[in-house]
Amino acid sequence: MIRTGAMVALLLVLINTISCQTDVEIKRQRYITEGILIYKTNCANCHQTNGQGLAALYPPLAGSDYLANKNTVICLIRYGQQGPIQVNGKRYNRPMPAQPQLSDLEIAELTTYIYNEWSTETTVTDVKTVTPVLDQCREKVASQ
Amino acid sequence: MLKQSLIPVLTRPASFWALSSRCFLVIGLALAFSSCSSTDDKLPILGQRQAVTKLVDGKPVTDSSYQTIPDFAFVSQYGDTVTAKTLDGKVYVADFFFTSCPTICPKMKVQLKRVYEKFKGNSNVMMLSHTIDPAHDSVPVLKEFADNLGIAGRQWLFVTGDREKIYDIGQNSYMVTAQADSTAPGGVVHSGAFILVDKAKHIRGIYDGTTEAGVDKLMADIDRLLAEYKS
Repeated sequence: MIRTGAMVALLLVLINTISCQTDVEIKRQRYITEGILIYKTNCANCHQTNGQGLAALYPPLAGSDYLANKNTVICLIRYGQQGPIQVNGKRYNRPMPAQPQLSDLEIAELTTYIYNEWSTETTVTDVKTVTPVLDQCREKVASQ
Repeated sequence: MLKQSLIPVLTRPASFWALSSRCFLVIGLALAFSSCSSTDDKLPILGQRQAVTKLVDGKPVTDSSYQTIPDFAFVSQYGDTVTAKTLDGKVYVADFFFTSCPTICPKMKVQLKRVYEKFKGNSNVMMLSHTIDPAHDSVPVLKEFADNLGIAGRQWLFVTGDREKIYDIGQNSYMVTAQADSTAPGGVVHSGAFILVDKAKHIRGIYDGTTEAGVDKLMADIDRLLAEYKS
């Protein structure tokens, strides 16, 4: 009797875990799907659909070491980027325009897509993570 | 007599009209196809044409004159003056862009680079990219842009100059649109067209420079145009 109870409990825990994972996976897929569209509309002109960038004009996102600083990436998506930067040891010096029309959620979806597609990451960058980062850099931009 | 010959026609049974209309259709189709094949696979000459009467051997002869690209004077990424004469004896592709353009220009440059790569080293083919933001796109800015795009040599020239003159030649000679619009990203609305110009400075084709399909067509047409000069 006790053994059966334990079995049922274990089973319930298992089911719960699996369905939780599925929820997370569904959310990840949803973010990525939206992210692809946002990327194509707002980023692919310069960075190209395959994320390879364009010669020495626009840096690649695919396999880019610049992705290591995710907070910087989140900020520059909305507020743009000025001055020279180094990507994979190469220098790029062309301003990136700000994208103030993108909402926090859209930036979260875009970030999720970029990191899932072109880095080793396989998790969602949730809007709850993105919002405080964006708030922080808005203050930084405002104080400049 | 005339009346007599007409009346029988009018009183012919309906089946005749059905038959003859079918005949006309066949003849019409044959004519349509023969007129297509008689173009000799040459590209059309685009733009406005005017009837021009000239005196040949003392006699007035009327001929049609096609729109041509007039002379101009702009400055290239190397700082030297580029005129219509620079492009004498060349088939060339013209376009309008600006270096800080976030919208269609990068797409156009990716596509024009394909054309450049395909015809690289072919002394009959050139590319001429006009900036429509000369206030920002100075000679050094254009040089850096060309370098960064991986363009060397003089086959692909990036030119700047007097803003009014660039807009004027764009709208009136190359038949593309370009105008300042503060609501557009980058501040300028402009066309993503590539214009193919032949050695006589006639426009032979206008292509969508933002799509791969449009530029595939352009490259095929450049080959066709070059073939005209071989025969």
